[in-house]
Order: sequence, then C-alpha cells, then structure tokens
Amino acid sequence: MTAKGGVQYSKIAEIKGPLVVVDDVENAAFDELVEIETKEGERRLGKVLEVGNGKAIVQVFEGTTGLSISGTSAKFVGKLMEMPVSKEVLGRVFDGLGRPKDGLPDPIADKFIDINGEPMNPEQREYPKDFIQTGVSVIDGMITLVRGQKLPIFSGSGMSHNILAAQIARQANVVGTKDDFAVVFAAIGVQYSEAEYFRRSLEESGALKRSVLFLNTADDPAIERIITPRVALTVAEYLAFDLGMHVLVILTDMTNYAEALREISAAREEVPGRKGYPGYLYTDLSTIYERAGKLNGRKGSVTQVPILSMPSDDITHPIPDLTGYITEGQVVLGRDLFRQGVYPPINILMSLSRLMKDGIGAGSTREDHSEISNQVYDAYSRAQEVRALAGIVGKAGLTDIDLKYMDVGDVFEKEFLTQATDENRTIEETLTILWKIVSKLPKNEITKIKDKYVDQYYQEN
Amino acid sequence: MTDSLLAKSIDKILEKTEKEILANLENSFSNTKQTLDDSIPKLEQEFDKIISDGKKEADKIEKQIIGSSDLEVRNKHLLTLEIAIDKVFTKALDQIANTTRSGDYSNLMNTLLDESTKILSTTKVIVSTNSKDKDLVQSLLSKYPGAELSSQTINCLGGVIVKSKDGAMKFDNTLDARIQRMKPLIRKEIATKFGVGN
Repeated sequence: MTAKGGVQYSKIAEIKGPLVVVDDVENAAFDELVEIETKEGERRLGKVLEVGNGKAIVQVFEGTTGLSISGTSAKFVGKLMEMPVSKEVLGRVFDGLGRPKDGLPDPIADKFIDINGEPMNPEQREYPKDFIQTGVSVIDGMITLVRGQKLPIFSGSGMSHNILAAQIARQANVVGTKDDFAVVFAAIGVQYSEAEYFRRSLEESGALKRSVLFLNTADDPAIERIITPRVALTVAEYLAFDLGMHVLVILTDMTNYAEALREISAAREEVPGRKGYPGYLYTDLSTIYERAGKLNGRKGSVTQVPILSMPSDDITHPIPDLTGYITEGQVVLGRDLFRQGVYPPINILMSLSRLMKDGIGAGSTREDHSEISNQVYDAYSRAQEVRALAGIVGKAGLTDIDLKYMDVGDVFEKEFLTQATDENRTIEETLTILWKIVSKLPKNEITKIKDKYVDQYYQEN
Repeated sequence: MTDSLLAKSIDKILEKTEKEILANLENSFSNTKQTLDDSIPKLEQEFDKIISDGKKEADKIEKQIIGSSDLEVRNKHLLTLEIAIDKVFTKALDQIANTTRSGDYSNLMNTLLDESTKILSTTKVIVSTNSKDKDLVQSLLSKYPGAELSSQTINCLGGVIVKSKDGAMKFDNTLDARIQRMKPLIRKEIATKFGVGN
C-alpha cells in the first residue's frame, strides 16, 4: 500500500450493463481497482477487465444504475482489489465486497491480500486425509468430508440446502486434535431472510465466534457476486496458512455466482457457451474451487463446501456439470426425499465423496467405518429396487428377504437420514445407527463386512 | 348326608379355586419380576440417554453463553479502540493543519507537484490548493511550464489537486487524500501503540 493515488479520468465513452468504458486512459492495468465517482459524489468500486487503444473497460461491482456519461469519473487506484485480514475478522459479518455489515469498524488489518489469491503450487499440495465431523450422520457416515477437500452440495430450488449449510457451519469440527477450527460462510445472492437466518443461527449457537460471514443478498448488485467467494476465500487462506487454522468454507449459492458471470459475459458481447454461460465458466469456477487444500509443512487447511441449486433439478446443467469435474465428489439432495419431509434429503445413491476412503477407518473414525458404509449403501440400493418391484407386484408378492430389505430402506430414511436441524451426532452415534440398519438383515446377507466386525457390532434382534 | 356331601364338594371347589388363585398370583408375581428384571437394562439405557442428551444440551448452552459473551466483550473492545484511534487521528490532523508553511513543508509541496505532473505526463495543468498554500504553490509553479494556479481555492489540509487543461484527467495529491489512502496502515500503527495487534 502506498500513499500515491491514481489518476481520475472523466471521459466516459459508454455505459453498457455492468460495464463502463473509459476513454484516453494511460497506464491502467488488468484487474486494477477503479473508483467510479458519480455526479453526486457517490463512490462505487470496479475493476479493469480490458485495456488497450487508450480505452479501459471497467466492471462496476455495485452496478451502473444511476450513472451517466457526463459527470461520472473513474479513478484508477493503482492496485488490485485487496482484503484487509487479521485474526479479528473472526466473529465479524461483512457484505459481499468485504465491508463490515455489523456496525463495527473495519478490522485492524494484519495484512492486505489480493483477493484473487495465489495458485497453490501442485508440488506443495498435501493429500487430504483427515476427517471433519459435521454432526450430520449421512455426511459423516457415508459421504465423509475430509480436511482440504472440495465437496459441493447439489440442490434444487426451494430445497433445504440453506438449513443444511447452516447446520454444517454450526456443528462442523475436527476431532482428535486441539487445532483451531473456523468457518467462513459466503452467502451469494441469497434472500434477506436467508442471510438473517445464517447470521442468527451462528450467533445463537455461539458458533459466530469462530466464523466469518460474507453476506451478498439478492437485492445487492449481481456483479458484487463475482467478488464475494473471492474475498471469503482470501480470508480463509489467511486463517489457514498464516494462522494455522482448519477452515471450512461454505459458498451458497454458486448458481447465483455463475449467473453474474453470464451477465458480464453478455454485456461484453462474448460468444456464449452452453445455456448462455461464457465458454470460460469451467476455468473461472476452477479459480474458486481450486483454492481448497492443504500445503506441505503448513498446519492449516481450507475445505470447501460450495452449494449450488440446479435449475429444474437438472444435474446435466452446465453449472453442476462443470463443478463436478473440478470437485472431489458431490452431495446430491433428492426432490423425492424432500417431498416426503425427510431432512436432510440427501440422495446417497447419487452422492459420493472421492476422498472419503482416506479420511476414515482406524485412527480417524473407526476400523469398521468403510465396510459398514459400503454394506448400508448396498442394502439401501437393494431396498430401492425392492420398493420399485413392490410397486408392480405388491408387497404380497415379495419374498421374506425382500421385505427385510424394505425394512432396511425405511429404517435408513427414518432413523439414519432423518435428523433434527439442531441434532449434532458424534461419529460413534452415526456408526451405531448404521449397525442398527445392517442388523435388520440376517447375517448371511452381510457380505461386505469382515466377520470379526459382525461379531463385535451386529445387534441381535 | 346330602348336606355333608354338599359341604365337602364346596370345600373341594374352594380348595381348588384357592390353589388356582395362588398359582395365578405366583405366576403373575414371577412374570412381573421378570418384566421388571428385563426393563432394568432398558431403563439404564434410557437413563444413560437422558444423561447424555442433557449433557449435550448443557454443552450447547454453555457454548452459546460463552460464545456470545466473548463476542460482546470483543465488540465493545473494538468500539473503544476505534474511539481512541479517532481521537488520535483528529489530533494529528489538527497538528498537520497548523504546521508552519516553510522549510520541510515547502519541499513536500514541491515533491507533490513533481509527482502529480509526472503521473499526468504533462506540465500543462491547472493546480488547485487551499488558501494557506496559495502563495507557496504559486512560487513553485514557475518550474512547470504551462502550469497555472486555479483562482478557486479548495478546502483541504494541504497539498494540491492537479487537472489537465482539457479537464479529462485529475490527480488528487492533497494531504487529505494521501492520509485517506494510508488510513488502514495508520490505524494499525495507532492500534499497535495501544498494545493491540502486536
């Protein structure tokens, strides 16, 4: 940071959507921060998207509503957008651009960090293998999250992903270590009531103390949404790699982020890709998702749980599709389960945590975790087939063993999947319920678990 | 004869009924005992569950209370610190405003003008300053061919605002703008003096 400022230009050539084209510009740099000043003295922030031929295209974060060509000026600040960071950001609530929203002053900064982050050196990355307990049985037991992983939640419009996100934020913890744990929560384009719910939920549970909230509400300018995940990740990286904390970053809703990206792309008249999203959507999403991980020799970690609502519940939509290529698995919420009133309505048959195998077992959760999880997955899958069959031939046409599988399906949904929004289950409790489900089956149906574990944990009816 | 037979029969029936009742009672007693014995482990389990649920709830409430009071204390601390920082700032700004306009200050103005014309890449500029610095700036402008002093003064602590003659470019090099840009770092310095953020 220097005392020297930037030049203010008053020749605005064009205002188009969220973009402002400034004429006769010299020495502007790509991504440089710009202060737009209106005739009335109002200041808005933006960044340079393109420079050349004496012109600069500036993307205005707070939107261009109310701006006019005459009287508007653009000051090129001479630095990139930075986020002031310090340990004091914990317990604070910021807006989508990283400005305090809780009535308190700006945090006293320890450092100012470029919000675009620095790419992690692939050579320095450490393979994620430590368990994070979310207290949500279905995630801990069957789609286990590990420190440094990026595990998105694919949801649909109106489903309970925000309640789940808040529950994870309140309950998530690292077990078996005294390392500090923090949650960075970025709400992108959410309704005001949802933003308030997140804030109150963390405040009332006492979890706000270890959390940082970035709230970009639906009535905030769409362009601000481009910045929100980046400022959140900048803070997360600082907490993780400078202060050695294990940080869980929850980004909801990434669909709103992608829509903002589409808006800018359309305004720039770029050739549209699938469903009008820019062709670089994959690359852009990767600049966010790839900021999760662990580094060799550094104590902390950044774990990401991005949440996105799939338009029309379409998993082949470009946003979930491209997200799935980058992330390490996915948690899919099922519309059928949601309609049945199951919370959390996670469809385990479509969900997967690719790094789960390395974060569970003896020394991290329990030695039988992997096998019991596989067995329940198998049994629930069979239960779904039996349910489909019962829909055709009726229950009377099913064999005894089929009926037992149906029972497994019911117990799975009612006792394992279903959980109160304030119920924080330990991994031991989760595994006990998994064994209760498996114990509905006769021992000869248990083919994926070693006999010694069956002898130890099988619950005779 | 008939009476004694009747009495015997009644006795027999009574005896049989008594035995049956006793047997039933014994049976019921042993059933009840069995049920009670069976329910002991269930009760113990239930008891353990109630205790562990209660403990969880207590932990939750403890976390809530500690979390919110910690935050409240921290927030009050932040507000108090900010008030102190503002006081230091105001005092510092007063001192700057009342600095004597000679010696070092003249050199500073020279540097500010130099910097501004370099950034705008021209000396054909209009320079605005406050009423206190007007004469000083006028005397310094002779070094910059084409530079003019604006007839209108501006309200600032010191320094200059330099505009290109066509009005397309402006560079704010006032002390106020420079302090504003450095404010986050100055705040940190002040906070450090108060023993915060070391």
